[in-house]
Amino acid sequence: MTDQLPPFPDVEPPNRSFWRNLSVVWLVPVLALVVALGIAWQAYSDRGTLIEIRFESAAGVTAGETTVRYRDVVIGTVEDVRFSEDLQTVIVDARIDNAVLPYLDEDARFWVVRPEISARGVSGLSTVVSGVYIEGVWNNEAGTERRTFDGLSSALFVLPGEQGRVLTLTVPDGMQLSGGAPVIYRGIEVGRLQDPVLSEDGRTVTVEVFIQAPHDQRINAATRFWDTSGFSINLGTEGLSLNVESLASLVTGGIEFDDVYDGAGPVDVDATFEVYTSEELALASAFQRPPVGDIPLSIQFNRRVRGLVVGTSVVMDGEIIGEVTGVSVLSFDTPNGASVRRMVADLMVDAKLMGLETGATAEDVYDYLDEQIADGLRARLTSSGLISSETLIEFAFDYTSGRAMLDRTSSDVPIMPWVPTPPSSLNATAEGLLERLSALPFEALMNQTIDTLASVEGLAGDPALRGVPEEAVGLLQDARNLIGGETAQAIPVQALAAVADLRAIAAELRASELSEAFNAILTSTDAVLVSADQVITSANGVVETASTIMEPLNTASAQLPTIMENLMTLSETAAALEVDALIASANSVLAGADAFLTAEGMTEVPGNLASALTELEALMTALSEADVVGSLNSTLTSAEAAANSANAAAQALPALVERTETVLEQVNGLLASYGPRSDFMGDTRSVLQDITAAARAIARLARAIERNPNSLLTGR
Amino acid sequence: MQIDDMENLGRTQQVAAASAVAHHVMTAREAGLVGCANCGRVHRAPVPANCLRCGRPLFDRARARSLQYVWSWLFAGLIAYIPANLYPMLRTNTLGSTSESTILEGVVELIHHGSYLVAAIVFVASIAIPIAKFVAISYLAIGIQQRKRGHAHERHKLYEVVEFIGRWSMIDVFVVAILAALVQLDFAATINPGIAAISFSLSVAFTMLSAQSFDPKAIWRLTDTT
Repeated sequence: MTDQLPPFPDVEPPNRSFWRNLSVVWLVPVLALVVALGIAWQAYSDRGTLIEIRFESAAGVTAGETTVRYRDVVIGTVEDVRFSEDLQTVIVDARIDNAVLPYLDEDARFWVVRPEISARGVSGLSTVVSGVYIEGVWNNEAGTERRTFDGLSSALFVLPGEQGRVLTLTVPDGMQLSGGAPVIYRGIEVGRLQDPVLSEDGRTVTVEVFIQAPHDQRINAATRFWDTSGFSINLGTEGLSLNVESLASLVTGGIEFDDVYDGAGPVDVDATFEVYTSEELALASAFQRPPVGDIPLSIQFNRRVRGLVVGTSVVMDGEIIGEVTGVSVLSFDTPNGASVRRMVADLMVDAKLMGLETGATAEDVYDYLDEQIADGLRARLTSSGLISSETLIEFAFDYTSGRAMLDRTSSDVPIMPWVPTPPSSLNATAEGLLERLSALPFEALMNQTIDTLASVEGLAGDPALRGVPEEAVGLLQDARNLIGGETAQAIPVQALAAVADLRAIAAELRASELSEAFNAILTSTDAVLVSADQVITSANGVVETASTIMEPLNTASAQLPTIMENLMTLSETAAALEVDALIASANSVLAGADAFLTAEGMTEVPGNLASALTELEALMTALSEADVVGSLNSTLTSAEAAANSANAAAQALPALVERTETVLEQVNGLLASYGPRSDFMGDTRSVLQDITAAARAIARLARAIERNPNSLLTGR
Repeated sequence: MQIDDMENLGRTQQVAAASAVAHHVMTAREAGLVGCANCGRVHRAPVPANCLRCGRPLFDRARARSLQYVWSWLFAGLIAYIPANLYPMLRTNTLGSTSESTILEGVVELIHHGSYLVAAIVFVASIAIPIAKFVAISYLAIGIQQRKRGHAHERHKLYEVVEFIGRWSMIDVFVVAILAALVQLDFAATINPGIAAISFSLSVAFTMLSAQSFDPKAIWRLTDTT
């Protein structure tokens, strides 16, 4: 294309080599390629290792979604779910994080966690929404790595790393217990039960329990387990008792244990414990089930004995000395041809429990028994309690029977002589009980009760008694009317005002104090200010000026007592009147006070007081600045004079009371012309409130100054 | 890339020559003119090495390495397109269960749900258009390299379509970005973008750059220089 363009200039060096011609931009795809390959390699190397877990069933396990978890942390994902070749198992292929792979050795266990709802609560709830997951456990030691595992059908009973102890218990039947039920020690859950299993011979049911550390140290030879399932009702001498352990154990069953005596030694690792049906039996077992004695005896009953079973206790003097180890029937022919059937009880007794020396041999025991039998000791069947009819074999003295001895010859085990059970024991007790019951004075009690009820009824039927509620209602109504009346409701407000007034007057009348004099100064009006200004302007003639203050000060202070007196009259009148009359007269007082206040400019007093206070404060500042202690003293003297005049004014109080009273009379007459419901009442009330407020303000001021007179000089 | 001065110059000459020569158009190149790619100043022969106005080096567009740019961006886009399809685009976490879906899985899922229209949109925007763009740009670039002459109009049209439609592939990325920003309801539902979202947007960006690097005048230059 260039051949047609000879004039075209070379603006670029031509014919560069291929590599030089290559643009830098090619770095972009190269870089992209490198990054893509890097990501691919990383994803490949991080994807974990595939392991195989065989399950009998894999309900809920989904390829690509179900996770494998260890301690609730996801460590892998199921990639495939397939069958083994013989279709007997499900093989789950899971890709496991390489980090945990070294720990997947012999002890690794896997099971599928599904939601479980039982009486003990809900477990695996998270799987309801997230689907099932495979939980794996293993110890924290790396071992020989494996890639194939057999999954468990249910969660592992004891997780690796869980400290504790597994015990085997035998239970009468598996009815009451279910897997996961709690093992309780003093009310605290310390372990759990595995599912009960039937032993191979089908005779017993065993259940494994796991006791968590450190509670497993509580297990020793004295430990007894008992069933706390359901509830138990005990009817005993102490009454009826109902035992319910916990709601959960009520439903799923539970096993509790405790030591029945102290100082017991440890037990073997594979020791098997028996589970008693109740706590009482378990505790009683400490006494009832001693180590089986080693000295054999037998008793041959000539009739069938009800309730005699293996394990029946042998009692002597109230103590268990052994138990029945076998019950059999022996039949033989007597020399005279008759066929005889005997019930044979094989016993094992303990020499030590019988009170013999520890080292006593069987012969010693037999000799001892022989002596006792000669004295009348016999074996007999008895039952242990009133309600429970547990059969016992008792060695007791029976002096009525004839001579007998231990038969050591007719069989290889010595035969103990026996006597029939005396019929008395139970019957006698029952009879005595009935006798005492019948002796109770039921009839007298009933009669007395009837009498009491009759008198109560008579009292209740009395018409006077019936009238009481009505009267009470009427009384309440009256009281309510009284309280609800406008006049009664106004009392508190007025009383409050009166109290405030009294307080203000009391403070005022304490005129001999210097602080009170200040009080009087405070109440001085603008005239004080004018005089004070003069004091400030002429620093030299402060004393003279201060004395000139006195005149207006006196007049000013004379005004306040007047107000106070009026107020006092008010409150006194209020206090002196009867409740009914109080309101009317208070109203009239208020009317008079209203007139009085408007006439004297009473409402302005608080404002004046405040301005006077400010001015006085300014005056004091000026005085203190001018270093005029002397003049201050004279001012104080003047103030004292003012206070004296205030005092005099206070003494003129009775006259004022009279005056006010005349005013009140007049107003009372005026009030009579007004209707009781006119606006006048409202006005007076508001006036009263005004006065109350004014009185309160004065009282507050007086109190504040009384409490802290210095504030006048220092300006707070 | 588009230099108005040159365009206009070429066009006036084209108009002038249109009546006389129907098939041959006088180009600036033939007229011995070179425009500065930077500021647009036209230089007559003898052309200086650098632009007289802005000082940038002048170069001949015909010899420019525009095709190299086209190819390299295209390859980069292709490479980025592979993880974009293999890795999950969205990681949806609903009530504790996490599900990841690639673009194609998403389309299949939408079809299963019966949302054919949305499925079609996603398929066209995320699969059909990018692949079509790869093919179209390759076709155009190969056409230039092989000095193909025919169908110049069609090829130009194709170029315009490719350049216009390129940005619409971002619709998928856009949706992912909005979903990831809006659906963050913790346990109930959470949507997070996957690796594919990044690589896909990179792929789209690269192909757009590739399309932009393509000089459409190269199509005509071959036609002109017969």
